[in-house]
Amino acid sequence: MVIGGVVSGIVGLGTGYLTLRLRGAFFAIATLALAVVLQTLIINWTYVGGARGAYVIRPNEIAILGSYIQYLFLLMLVLAVIVICTARLIERSRLGYGFATIRDDELAAEACGVPTLRLKLIATTLSGAFMGMAGAPFPYYIGYIEPSSAFGLAYAVNSIAMPMIGGTTTWIGPLIGAILLGLLQQFATVTISSAVNLLIVGMLLVDFVIIAPNGIVGLIKERRTASNVVVEPTVFVLLFALNFSPVYFLAGQGTGAQSIGLVFWLILAYVAYMRGRVLGRWWLIAFPLAGVLFAFAPVIAAIPVTAATFVSALLQIICVVCGLLPVRRPAEASAR
Amino acid sequence: MSEPLLHVSGLGKRFGGFVALDGIDFAVGEGERVGLIGPNGSGKSTLVNCICGTLHNDAGTVRFDGGNVDGLLAHERTRLGLARTFQLPRPFPSMTVADNVRVPLLYTVNARGHGFLTAADIATRCTDLLDIVGLAHKMDKWPRDLTQVEMRKLELARAMAAEPKLLIADEAMAGLSQVEVADIVGLLIRLNERGITIVLIEHIMRAVMSFSQRLVVLVSGKKIADGPPDEVIRDPEVERAYLGQ
Repeated sequence: MVIGGVVSGIVGLGTGYLTLRLRGAFFAIATLALAVVLQTLIINWTYVGGARGAYVIRPNEIAILGSYIQYLFLLMLVLAVIVICTARLIERSRLGYGFATIRDDELAAEACGVPTLRLKLIATTLSGAFMGMAGAPFPYYIGYIEPSSAFGLAYAVNSIAMPMIGGTTTWIGPLIGAILLGLLQQFATVTISSAVNLLIVGMLLVDFVIIAPNGIVGLIKERRTASNVVVEPTVFVLLFALNFSPVYFLAGQGTGAQSIGLVFWLILAYVAYMRGRVLGRWWLIAFPLAGVLFAFAPVIAAIPVTAATFVSALLQIICVVCGLLPVRRPAEASAR
Repeated sequence: MSEPLLHVSGLGKRFGGFVALDGIDFAVGEGERVGLIGPNGSGKSTLVNCICGTLHNDAGTVRFDGGNVDGLLAHERTRLGLARTFQLPRPFPSMTVADNVRVPLLYTVNARGHGFLTAADIATRCTDLLDIVGLAHKMDKWPRDLTQVEMRKLELARAMAAEPKLLIADEAMAGLSQVEVADIVGLLIRLNERGITIVLIEHIMRAVMSFSQRLVVLVSGKKIADGPPDEVIRDPEVERAYLGQ
């Protein structure tokens, strides 16, 4: 694991050195491209199994702890604690202030004496190292690894989605995001299917980028100054359509699935509430809430699924229409 | 006579085919208050960027405090004592006002090696600096809560936190009202009295005239005048550049 950390740290440093001259989106594209290069290298490397992948035989038992799975769990837990502690330490340190200035304004950071390139290299090295350490127990956990799944989009998207959803500006953000998303995904895997995972992640990512660019932490911190993108009519309709679609897929899938649907219902309620607040129509929030009832109704009572879904869809359409109807207030004001 | 604090000689910078700066020579002595003026696009900001290391000059040299700073990165020059403010205030929006000032203390003063500030020292310094510019009561606010003039003051406080020998104020007063301009000019003069050499780049003539002991005029990348303010503004070439033929 330590070796994995060191090697990945070096790869991170190298990647940083090669790509940090690029800015913004170009930097992201370059790092993604490097991942593809690495995948190609691994596929053509016979020692690690090439494209066939490799089986990892793990011992069933381990001294003191007993089950090997428990040992792995403990290992990952310790790792998570170390990473969170490090993140928290950095946040309050000179290094943390430096990172924050680079995020805010690179030019001003330079003018304040912050060595931006060096700090960025430290950042890529650290994150590379930690990701590498996190990946080290992975083959033992899965038992079999092969390039196309290990380099799969799912891991990359997840590792971006978790901090995005939680909030990227504090140490606790990614923790919140990871716990929420991890729970949701495990739940989806058990109750519906593992393929739904990515759908959920994708939907939530879109939601959060629009509603809360700074994640849950940002949403809580800036609730008074939050931008009002959500209440724009077009965004409102799009968000409604987007968040209602999984509800449709989840219809009639049992209690577990409905609990996942609840997340989307909550987002719908939030969107309706925000839009309603601007229009002075507080009751808009009632529609998504009623939708929740109809989603759970077939599970608890004996109402046919299609009927319940139909009614709830109808309710949401009414909600959208009500949310779009022009406000009559200016006219009234001028009449007075 | 000892060497001036800042000595720019033969400075040249081109962007593609466009010559932004063409053989600029000028010097700033220790403790001086110099005004740098010129019409839009005359190369004032490019000159500042070349002096501060944000851009690298193609020709000529920049000497600061007895040493050649060509090839040094912007943050290295800041550590040598060359601070600047930006034309448009660039605070760190995710940090409080006090933390904005804390950054140069952490990265410049502590990085110089002589004398390390403890956390308590830094906190006192932050308060002192914000006190000088009159922002102490807004320490825990966010930059977005500041008015335009307060933003400029924060910008100055942040530059001052680096304990500069030379402060280059790039249009520190653009867009401010007359009262606010007088406020900032007064502040700059107070800073100068504390021993900091200041170069002021400005459009507002009244501010420049009341501030500067010497005036340098740039027109299309060339220096056309350099001398006492009263003489310089009567210079026919300067009048032509500003008012047209």
